Amino acid sequence: MNTILAASFLIGGLSAVLAALIVVVDGIVNNYGEVKIDINNGKKELKVNGGASLLTTLSEQGVFIPSACGGRGSCGACKVKVLSDIGPILPTEAPLLEEDEIKQNIRLSCQVKVKSDIAIEIPEELFSAKIFKGVVEKINDLTYDIKEVKIKLIEPNEIEFKAGQYMQLVIPPYEKINEYTQRAYSIASSPSQKDSVEFFIRLVPGGIATTYVHKYLKENDQMELVGPFGEFYMRNTDADMICVAGGSGLAPIKSIVADMFERKITNRNVWLFFGARSLKDLYYVDFFQDMEKKWDRFHFVPALSEPEPQDNWKGETGLITDVLGKYFKEKMDQNTPKEGYLCGSPGMINACIKVMTENGISEDKIYYDKFA
Amino acid sequence: MKMTEDLKKAYENMKTGVITAGGFLGNDERLLVDIIESDEEKIRSLNINLQDYIKKIRYLFEKGKEAFEEPVTIDNKWLIKVDEARGHLPCPFEDGIFRKVNLRIKNLNNNEELLITELSLHLIEKHHFFQGKGSPFRVEPEKLKKVLEE
Repeated sequence: MNTILAASFLIGGLSAVLAALIVVVDGIVNNYGEVKIDINNGKKELKVNGGASLLTTLSEQGVFIPSACGGRGSCGACKVKVLSDIGPILPTEAPLLEEDEIKQNIRLSCQVKVKSDIAIEIPEELFSAKIFKGVVEKINDLTYDIKEVKIKLIEPNEIEFKAGQYMQLVIPPYEKINEYTQRAYSIASSPSQKDSVEFFIRLVPGGIATTYVHKYLKENDQMELVGPFGEFYMRNTDADMICVAGGSGLAPIKSIVADMFERKITNRNVWLFFGARSLKDLYYVDFFQDMEKKWDRFHFVPALSEPEPQDNWKGETGLITDVLGKYFKEKMDQNTPKEGYLCGSPGMINACIKVMTENGISEDKIYYDKFA
Repeated sequence: MKMTEDLKKAYENMKTGVITAGGFLGNDERLLVDIIESDEEKIRSLNINLQDYIKKIRYLFEKGKEAFEEPVTIDNKWLIKVDEARGHLPCPFEDGIFRKVNLRIKNLNNNEELLITELSLHLIEKHHFFQGKGSPFRVEPEKLKKVLEE
């Protein structure tokens, strides 16, 4: 008995000594002292303690780089251009970087450690991204698998963003998910509505964030958001806008259309093609049909790929790309400059780009957000 | 089969929070090698030709992608829907990286449903790993047969 006790104390003591040793060694090895981060050639200079990832270090200083996976190195959203030498590309970065990105020294900020002075380049818009605290004001079923979530902003209580941008919702631990997760969703509300933001969130089977929103999130729950982010917004030109949305990809397009109407930018032709399978997958139809009545240059074209007999569907039928191709040839003015605005699945976007370029829109005039 | 060093490493990668928040093991407390062997045995006893099934699932993935994430009926037999989320997932066996693409298949003859991801398909094809019991993405061999064959 005494031997067992002695052995237990000995093993316990050894474990404690080893744990203390690890803490001490970690403190010595990962102590890089104070380092400087230069952002955009002196636009902003941060003095920070080295050792953590660039993503974490920047967010602690109030500079938020988009990240949809919480720094696991799996989403590829947190890319930044590094202007100083920080060593070779890491094995955890390589799969998510294109060849030309590697040439330009684009790095994954969640994988790069800040060990010495570093110079980076990021889009200026990221300086205005913040953490917002909010409360869920309303949850509404748009379809059987898409919910509209309205979040009232508490701290700060107002937001400035460009119609078409997105935010990251912070999903708390639930069930077996024991850590916070962040996922990006396009803002569906208009920028004029400064005290709250709305999102269309489609349930993805097995999705951590969408399962939480659909099965656990309730009105009056507190929620954190980070943003705004994104390069998907209306370009200020006179070109006709050809917008194509699928599923929850309608969110940023709705924000853009509402914003244009509110700001009386109604001199441009806007075509909105919205693809769904059957009538039960369509939503916000009344909103856009009403917009058509109020704005003579706005054209709304919903199309169903597999309408049910009971739908009594009189509108366009077929894949949205086929309908788009038909309208290019039969309904649209062939002689006006055009821009494409796309939001939906990667497959839909790639197919729409093909149809648009075949019909005279150059690829640099096609703007898209592959993930609503 | 033994728990080799590679299997031990893969097993560690499969735990909750390493690659995915939910992990690949569910509430299955068996060794990885036992999970794999048990499912291989199940596949044999059900007379499943795994290569044919994998080919069929790849075909459904392609058809689902062509429908731009809307549900679509294929060959009057399956109602399928593909969803793609932002990001990538590395294989826990460290032999590839995969986009987060889900395929939901419903057999219209018997209403049996199955959810499978591109990573799950790779795990089944290359490693005969159908995931642990209770994992949200576990593919039950019996369910696979009901969804693809009947």
